[in-house]
Amino acid sequence: MDLMAGTLTPQREATEQADADVVADPDRPWITIVWNDPINLMSYVTHVFMTVFGYEKPKAEKLMLDVHHRGRAVVSSGTRERMELDVSTLHGYGLWATLEQPT
Amino acid sequence: MKVSRRHGRLRLRLEPIEVSLLETLLDELTVVLDSDDADDPVVARLYPSAYPDDDAAETDYRSITESGLRSERQERVGQCVAELALGGEIDLGEPDTARRWIQVLNDLRLSLGTRIGIAEDEPEIDPTDPEAQPHLVYYWLTAVQDSVVTGLMR
Repeated sequence: MDLMAGTLTPQREATEQADADVVADPDRPWITIVWNDPINLMSYVTHVFMTVFGYEKPKAEKLMLDVHHRGRAVVSSGTRERMELDVSTLHGYGLWATLEQPT
Repeated sequence: MKVSRRHGRLRLRLEPIEVSLLETLLDELTVVLDSDDADDPVVARLYPSAYPDDDAAETDYRSITESGLRSERQERVGQCVAELALGGEIDLGEPDTARRWIQVLNDLRLSLGTRIGIAEDEPEIDPTDPEAQPHLVYYWLTAVQDSVVTGLMR
């Protein structure tokens, strides 16, 4: 279930190489970011990551701690449509989520 | 308030006074959920931007998602209100019911917490101070939600 190491990193490397030839790549993956806020409970955020993404508890807790200590964490990556769906699902849970396409 | 497991099913038990408090809060929440006052920090917190740096994409995102998010929230509140009307013993054995309750408790905490300006490091409050009452309600909601979430993950 290690989405970030398993799928994001190789895609990013491929994108960096492709950037030399092509400036805009519509297939470049998008990312969903969750931002820290003073209200959402650590237990709740962990639970939401497990429920929404099917992450195991250690991974969900690590992401939650990244949000808490670093202010933000990338919680998923993929197509823009898929990330919009993730963001709206997280908004339904009251998490502060945004999406972007890293340059 | 007590969260426990009986025959493997998680349940939330509320005292009558807690049931009426929750009913009042849920009543207020339905009003907030109906509001489209974008300048209200509570509305802004419940419906955050997906694209904070891209107005056009943000408008598209909202046109696709916001009415659905609004009606889902109202529906969840309505179902919780209906269950509370049956008494203070809530059966959280079904995953959908448990998920709905923690989402509604979270919407209550987001609304009240934003309204009273909860910050990362909250100062100690004096429980005898009448002004502190919303904070006491907020901390009670926090305790209920944390107990349910912890119970679910156990």
